[in-house]
Amino acid sequence: MNTTPPDPSAPQGIFTPELLDRCISCGFCLPACPTYALTKDEASSPRGRITLMRALEEGTLPDNDLRLQEESSFCLGCRACETVCPAGVEYGALLEEWRDHQWQGSRRPLVVRLLTFAVNARPRVWLLGLFRRHARTRPSPEGPHLMLGCFERALYPKVSRAARALLPELSAPASQGCCGALHAHNGDSARGRELALELGEQLPGVIVTTSGGCAAHLASVLGRDRVREISETLTETPRELPWTGARIALQDSCHLRNGLGVWREPRELIGRMGEYVELPSAGSCCGAAGSYAMVRPKDSRKVLDAKLDEIEAAGVDYVAVVNPGCYRQLDQGLRRRKSRVRAVHLAELAAGAYETTRSARTQAEH
Amino acid sequence: MRIDAAVLRELRGIVGADHVRDADGDVAAYARDATPLFSAMPGAVVHPGSAEEVAAVLALATAHGVPVVPRGAGSNLCAATVPLSGGIVLVLTRLDRILEISAEELLAVVQPGVTSAELAGAAAKHGLLYAPDPGSRTVATVGGTIATCAGGLRGLKYGVTRNYVLGLEAVLPTGEIVRTGGRLWKDVAGYDLTRLLTGSEGTLGVITEATVALTPAPETTGTGLAYFATLADAGRAVARVIGSGIVPATLEFLDAKCVAAVEDYAGLGLRLDAGALLLFGDDGAAAPVADHLARMAEICLAEGAMEATVAGAAAESEALLAARRCALPALSRLGSVTILEDASVPRPRIAEMVDRIDALAVRHGLTIATFGHAGDGNLHPTCVVEAGDTDAVERAHHAFADIFRAAMELGGTITGEHGVGAAKLPYLAERLGEDQMALLRRIKAAFDPAGILNPGKLGS
Repeated sequence: MNTTPPDPSAPQGIFTPELLDRCISCGFCLPACPTYALTKDEASSPRGRITLMRALEEGTLPDNDLRLQEESSFCLGCRACETVCPAGVEYGALLEEWRDHQWQGSRRPLVVRLLTFAVNARPRVWLLGLFRRHARTRPSPEGPHLMLGCFERALYPKVSRAARALLPELSAPASQGCCGALHAHNGDSARGRELALELGEQLPGVIVTTSGGCAAHLASVLGRDRVREISETLTETPRELPWTGARIALQDSCHLRNGLGVWREPRELIGRMGEYVELPSAGSCCGAAGSYAMVRPKDSRKVLDAKLDEIEAAGVDYVAVVNPGCYRQLDQGLRRRKSRVRAVHLAELAAGAYETTRSARTQAEH
Repeated sequence: MRIDAAVLRELRGIVGADHVRDADGDVAAYARDATPLFSAMPGAVVHPGSAEEVAAVLALATAHGVPVVPRGAGSNLCAATVPLSGGIVLVLTRLDRILEISAEELLAVVQPGVTSAELAGAAAKHGLLYAPDPGSRTVATVGGTIATCAGGLRGLKYGVTRNYVLGLEAVLPTGEIVRTGGRLWKDVAGYDLTRLLTGSEGTLGVITEATVALTPAPETTGTGLAYFATLADAGRAVARVIGSGIVPATLEFLDAKCVAAVEDYAGLGLRLDAGALLLFGDDGAAAPVADHLARMAEICLAEGAMEATVAGAAAESEALLAARRCALPALSRLGSVTILEDASVPRPRIAEMVDRIDALAVRHGLTIATFGHAGDGNLHPTCVVEAGDTDAVERAHHAFADIFRAAMELGGTITGEHGVGAAKLPYLAERLGEDQMALLRRIKAAFDPAGILNPGKLGS
């Protein structure tokens, strides 16, 4: 019989063997994968990518192989595959190890190099937010703290203001750095870890974040008990929320849902502020995927377009987000389409700090 | 095996350059399917977009003697889609449209790349049921499940895939497109090629369209659970349930090793002092379902069940079924290679067969846990070993060879629903005998004179 048993005799040491060995190749991940849905090609499915990782580890494919390079980048890293995996494969961790190896030197996308450089040191992160009106307070010695994010504080300063309006007990020192998720997801997990540890020292005690992606990365380094995503914090304490009279959908943050298992909380909060509408694909990636929208704009748009069609068909006023990447992706996408639907961060909705859409106004008047 | 450059050029002419790949990295993902321990590199991967393209590819392959392995989602467990002789892996996933669902005619017409779950979901919107429900239904394509005649959890009441295939469009290896059967429940014009192609594992033709039967969706489903001191007790209860005139939709069992693994993994609160767990269930109108469940629980207790529970609500049903759903996840965590096997015996011999499996596991120094379909005698002995432990892998091969022989001795078969593929081919002659094997080869040659379609599998 012409069979080749897996040969672990010459491993390259790129992957942690226990992580790579977990996959039983059943293929249950295929229907959960947004890139497999685009191509219907095994190579762009989680199982196919693990087969490629194994070929890389076993040395049967060279590390300059074009398909290895392409698939390590084409993957959104949304980790939707982890939620349907019967064998408990930690795909997100495998992808980090893959990119650590695959994206060395000139093989690292230029956009990634620029982005990670911009947030690699605290003064640069501080500069990003210098002329933006994000929340700022003196540091508190024991917390709890609000994480301002790196690009989030520059792109959406109003989100941290909304968070502070809701949770005035949070201190938000502007001197805090980046959590390192960007590094970890883009081929430099060692630096990603260092930055998370540094942030953990800068912000002692519990860290509350308005970014699902950062929450998952921070929790993986600092421990789950140190990290709270804001919808968790808001559901933990009884509070009045403003009734918007609007129909509101949610775009889950992939890592918040698939990494931390937080998905009920934002839905519950929205249900208390308006009529919650579940999008059929609420739990699957919008194509932002951290830096992905900038590294692979065409593929990102393909994933987004189906999502936007769905949002418009749902007849909602708002689509709430819990992550800055999704915010940018959906906000830009909806504006490009001149849609009447607005993207808004859940914290803004809860703080009453949002732009009222026409139909929400009409409904509120009735 | 490298494919000749001229052949590659022609392939690109047929399906378009985007849909032909031949670089090592581009084809590596197609070296295997869901079967552990089997892998072989294809020479090229081709994604056709129509039956006509499939026909042109096959005619070309026949002319040049290039092997072709048709593939859906690659979720089969018998290495049916591993390209043992290299050549072309022909992937049908681009043909992914549901062409028609007719509530009046109780049928659907679909392309082969639609998944079983997508078809079932679309049928459900019309209040209809697509009954075949293999464990991999969210992944497995309709084309693949027909090619392997996939089973599932409700084989006793609903049968298997072959009971639902009314007609097929298939491309022969020589390039002709044939349509067998059709939209008819009665049609005896000619040999039953629809059934011959169903379960032919991609060795006779490539399915490019299927007409399948649907049934009205049942009003409700209900589930119950019973623990027995021994599998023999459970086996008697199953026999009495069926003897009493009930044909249940669900009759699933887990042996003690599965129960322990599931409990360790999921902490569902299962009883660890039992020798077997039996899930029973039925579907249909609410009153008879409730009646059947109550009677099945009574029979279980009468046959010595330690405990029997009937779920009151759908959520409770789900909780009971969780034990069965967790079997594979729980077992797969015990090691890095999970060999999920498949054998069938006549229903009354299940307990005897599991005893034999347990004895063989001890003799070969392995852990083999067994779960399966008590209603149709289909067992899934599952062995978990470490990939690096070549000795254990070797022992597992020997143990399973003995298990398949034991199944045949009890009047059973080497595979109930996973298929023969490359994995079971060494045991097929023992099951069928030389005369049937020769007949299979003559049938294969009639369809595929050049022997290009999925060589090294059925009919080889």
